Amino acid sequence: MSRNYALFLGCTIPNRLPHLEVATRLILKSLDVNAKDLPGFSCCPDPVGFSALDRFTWIVLASRNLAVAEEQGLDILTLCSGCFETLKTANYVLKHDGEYKNKVNEALAKVGKEYKGSVEVRHLLQVLYEDVGPKKIESTVKKPLTGIKVAVHYGCHVLRPSEIVQVDDPFNPTYFEGIVKATGATPVDYEKKFLCCGVGVRSVDEATTNRMIEEKLRYVRLSGADLLCVICPFCLIQYDIGQFQINKALCTDYNIPVFYYPQLLALAQGVSADELNFKFQRIKPDAVLEKIEKL
Amino acid sequence: MVSVIKIILLMEKLEDSNLVEASSEMNSSFRSEITATHEGESLNFCYQCSTCSGCCPVFRYNPNFNPRRIIENTLLGRRDRTVDSPTIWFCTVCHTCTEKCPQGVKVSEIIIELKNLSSKKGLFPIHLQEEAKTLLEFGMVSPSSKAIMSRREKLGLPVVENAPPEEIRTLTSYTGFDKLVAGKKPMEGEVQKKGAIGE
Repeated sequence: MSRNYALFLGCTIPNRLPHLEVATRLILKSLDVNAKDLPGFSCCPDPVGFSALDRFTWIVLASRNLAVAEEQGLDILTLCSGCFETLKTANYVLKHDGEYKNKVNEALAKVGKEYKGSVEVRHLLQVLYEDVGPKKIESTVKKPLTGIKVAVHYGCHVLRPSEIVQVDDPFNPTYFEGIVKATGATPVDYEKKFLCCGVGVRSVDEATTNRMIEEKLRYVRLSGADLLCVICPFCLIQYDIGQFQINKALCTDYNIPVFYYPQLLALAQGVSADELNFKFQRIKPDAVLEKIEKL
Repeated sequence: MVSVIKIILLMEKLEDSNLVEASSEMNSSFRSEITATHEGESLNFCYQCSTCSGCCPVFRYNPNFNPRRIIENTLLGRRDRTVDSPTIWFCTVCHTCTEKCPQGVKVSEIIIELKNLSSKKGLFPIHLQEEAKTLLEFGMVSPSSKAIMSRREKLGLPVVENAPPEEIRTLTSYTGFDKLVAGKKPMEGEVQKKGAIGE
């Protein structure tokens, strides 16, 4: 049975990391997830910067996106945890506060739109674990990644604030490990698994963001993981490009490949590394690809 | 955990000793202003246990950003140390504090409300003005470009049809967001510098 969603690409994946979109579209297709491209979405907008400038405008623009999906009667599938938090928060606020909803709808009327509250917002992690399920994922694996050690990084906005996002257990989540196991790889535990990637302070305090990245990578390296796996493009930028930057700024020599989950699954499904275009990432995963090649 | 809290309190004492003469004005109407906001109601439940600062990933490296302190100063109605101070902009919005607060205080959301008040006065970091301008022009914060469109084509990806930017501008002019962004004033020492490690 195929499942239908409105695919919410956001800004970062389609316009900065389109190779991640390639991997995502491949795995969604293989799992019978019908993610439709709808015209008319704007920026989510970003939950860190825009909510800080003006929370009401942030929610109005997010609600406009919800209204676009509502017109087609489709739940939204987000590929970025930032988009997820923004859209989920708007949906939550408007569903719980009638007065706020009326104010937002007065604004949306200016562009001929209306928020009704008829669709849900789902994160890729949620769709993969809850809607598709690890069993189905496992059934599409042609080349199990046996022996490949994966450190998972949940990131913040897919788990918190739990009252709003309602995904997994915010203190002891297991979804990500579940879908990694489905590829045949082994999730490894490490200290600071829940440390924030720090992208939220990058523009105001680079020194702090660098040290947050370094601390995370230190424990990932100690865990013996072959790669760090993320489910948000901002976390990927932080650990991939960020790793390159901290090696210069803090004189470190980290070389830990960072995968967006669909890239990992696509490899397990037999998609070639060339097709996944790791060349667009700073840290080249040659060592782990060679390991996978030999499996 | 207890030792972490002890260290936090000790650091704050040192910080205070430098601030004795700067007895900032306390203003109870400011506190009510925050509790009246959408997310501010929970402020009154804070019992200053420091769980927020103990779990804050930024505070570990930048002690100038101390969530417990921000909540305390808000409770005491100190506008100058919250809304008027660049400190609040160091929050990375990971929501760990809100998640872990034993009293259910929405710490990160309250900091967002403080930032909103700060923004109304034109006090926000320059990079956000740039981000907002891009949004108003293209409807996206990271808009597409010719190079990206050609890369997408090579990768076999479809053309993305985004929202008409005029629609976004209609909404932002209705909410007054465009004027808010245009009204930026220079911040004390601009945020980029203030408080960075090694400064």
